[in-house]
Amino acid sequence: MNTIPITINDKKLDVDPAKTILEVCRENDIEILTMCHLKGIIDIGACRLCLVEIEGINKLLSACTTKVAANMVVKTSTERIKKYQRITAELFFAERNHVCSVCVANGKCELQQLGYKVEMDHIRYPHLFPHCEVDTSHPWYVMDHNRCIMCTRCVRVCNEVEGAHNWDVMNRGHQVRIISDFNTPWGESITCTSCGKCLHACPTGAIWPKAIVQGQLEKKPEIISELMEKRKMKL
Amino acid sequence: MNRQELQALAGKAKGKHEQFKHKICVCCGASCISSGSEEVLKKLQEEIKTRGLENEVEVIPSGCMGPCNQGPLMKYLPEQTIYQKVDCNNITAIVQSQLIEKKPIEELLLFADSREKPFVNSNEDPFFKRQMKIALKDCGDINPENIEDYLAAGGYRALEKAFFLLSPEEVIAEVKQSRMRGRGGAGYPTGLKWETVYKYVSDQKYVICNGDEGDPGAFMDRSVLEGNPHRVLEGMVIAGYAVGSSKGYAYIRGEYPLAIKRFELAIKQATKLGLLGKNILGSNFSFDIEVRIGAGAFVCGEETALIASIEGKRGTPRPRPPFPAEAGLWGKPTLINNVETFAGIAPIITNGGEWYSETGTPKSAGTKVFALAGKIKYSGLIEVPMGTTLREIVFDIGGGVQNGGDFKAAQTGGPSGGCIPAEHLDVKMDYESLISLGSIMGSGGLIIMDKSSDMVDVARYFMEFCMDESCGKCVPCRVGTKMMHDLLQKICDNKGTQIDLDRLEELAVYVKETSLCGLGASAPNPLLSTLRHFRKEYENRIMNHQ
Repeated sequence: MNTIPITINDKKLDVDPAKTILEVCRENDIEILTMCHLKGIIDIGACRLCLVEIEGINKLLSACTTKVAANMVVKTSTERIKKYQRITAELFFAERNHVCSVCVANGKCELQQLGYKVEMDHIRYPHLFPHCEVDTSHPWYVMDHNRCIMCTRCVRVCNEVEGAHNWDVMNRGHQVRIISDFNTPWGESITCTSCGKCLHACPTGAIWPKAIVQGQLEKKPEIISELMEKRKMKL
Repeated sequence: MNRQELQALAGKAKGKHEQFKHKICVCCGASCISSGSEEVLKKLQEEIKTRGLENEVEVIPSGCMGPCNQGPLMKYLPEQTIYQKVDCNNITAIVQSQLIEKKPIEELLLFADSREKPFVNSNEDPFFKRQMKIALKDCGDINPENIEDYLAAGGYRALEKAFFLLSPEEVIAEVKQSRMRGRGGAGYPTGLKWETVYKYVSDQKYVICNGDEGDPGAFMDRSVLEGNPHRVLEGMVIAGYAVGSSKGYAYIRGEYPLAIKRFELAIKQATKLGLLGKNILGSNFSFDIEVRIGAGAFVCGEETALIASIEGKRGTPRPRPPFPAEAGLWGKPTLINNVETFAGIAPIITNGGEWYSETGTPKSAGTKVFALAGKIKYSGLIEVPMGTTLREIVFDIGGGVQNGGDFKAAQTGGPSGGCIPAEHLDVKMDYESLISLGSIMGSGGLIIMDKSSDMVDVARYFMEFCMDESCGKCVPCRVGTKMMHDLLQKICDNKGTQIDLDRLEELAVYVKETSLCGLGASAPNPLLSTLRHFRKEYENRIMNHQ
């Protein structure tokens, strides 16, 4: 296999040129924070947590969507990047109504983990406290928009892996919401196959199975990645 | 139609116009139509007919002439006499004295109510004298709905020259030599972009014309599309020839029904004459254009969001790289340029790149169309060489601030731009100078503000715009613009504190540096530039609550 030399955080590496910066970092135990990334589905660079500094490029680029190039010099955790990650985390928490203590995902939530990782001891921005619906119309599952961070992992999993395209996005700006079909209750969806992949893809407690209580949610986002690996091998 | 037939048709069209002694243009741009120019046109045609002058005088509906707030406008050629605010009741009098007695009615001439002595030849009026029209040439002099008018004015000659005398490489070389930069706002060198798309090998490439002009107060692209659609079309076909594409899309915002109608008509007419479609002018080059209508999202002016929209997806941007030149529409190499950029192509091909590069400044060549709006005496559409100072635009062309007020600031680049204060009135209007002041050229919106404008409120207004228009995909733009807007609202309500101001500044830099696309990255510009030039107003709000 042809490899190209790149440098990440002063570490010299020889890597596969078809890979993204994020893939290379994950393979080499270089930590990059992500929220909208889920291995196996198409990356969209939306959460902006994986931004990295690349020498010679004056913009910060998202590691999940940027392919490595020969002699690229990447920095993943400068003071500037750390500062921005912390602001992003704070904005996530301030945007909707995240109350960990009563959440099904407490202890297993990727957003909560992010808060710890960026050492978010408090939130400096006023909470927006938007009015958000809780959709319990599905016989097995619940969609709680209060806990949604608009990573759209559910949308992509439903579309790319299950092929159902039950989920989509409506509205613009801070009023965006995940919708089922054309904004009808989830339980009335004519596209949902009730496969449950969105549950596992969701990084927070926004989508969860009924009949569980606080902290009991078991999420396995890795099953999506494994599934896609197996499919790739079959091809 | 082949090359000889095109030349014959152009000659015939020209001859037809030369039969007439006079030509009267009635502006039928969206602005003049809204003040009743269609009735004026009808009445004028009747008047000419009743007087039996129809073989001497040609009456046509034309595109925008420039001074939009004086409409409906009526121009007499070859005298270049413009009458303003024409209504159906004074047409008989104007025709009588202008055409028969050869004595223009002074009190009805353009700017008669504000100039000591209005100019009979409008080209001598400072509003026009300081201008230089390249992209807007013929706009206001020809009937945009008649391809023969465009042919008579030398239209499609550039296309003919490109096809039969130049290779695609030579066309690109001319555009590169012109040093033209993208007129959509970012100012990327046009020739370089063309060359990049040209170099990618692909079975299919696309050319897209970005007509999704969304900046508040901007109407350059609308006027070009309404006033001279064939010019844009010609530019697109030449671009297709140069980069090796056979399919073009014109993405025009739905709020511009007249522009859409006229551009679609232009496509129809050009196709009929064989200037579009298979084997254009008998050559082996084929090119088609399809119009796509925007549904009202500002973010669709961003190139990757626009591409997603054409593909039928939700109009949200995606990270670059890869740039559209490499992987654009349906993953194919795509050339995407603004309306005004395409409008500048034909003159570059006809007169050569060197000719174009002689105008303007060393780094910003050519001319730029601006939409003058706000508290300015003569608002409207102007085109000036790059490097013209803001002072010249505001005071010489625009006649200064309305009602003799004092100039406070000029806002350039719409919600992505910034404010330029009075002490920088002598700034040259080119890409670099505006960036050095914390603003941007943008697409050409130029809003003039007087002392009555509250700069904190101006920043709040533009932030509200960006907050509403953010697509909601990335966190900094989705939540950051909302936070910044709320903080600005708090300061406007005299409830702000110094901490709010610090948070605001921190957020502004964060959103600018981390946003996914240009909308978010430039959304803090109005805030940052007002903070830079009018910080006192923010502090006054916080400290003294006034």
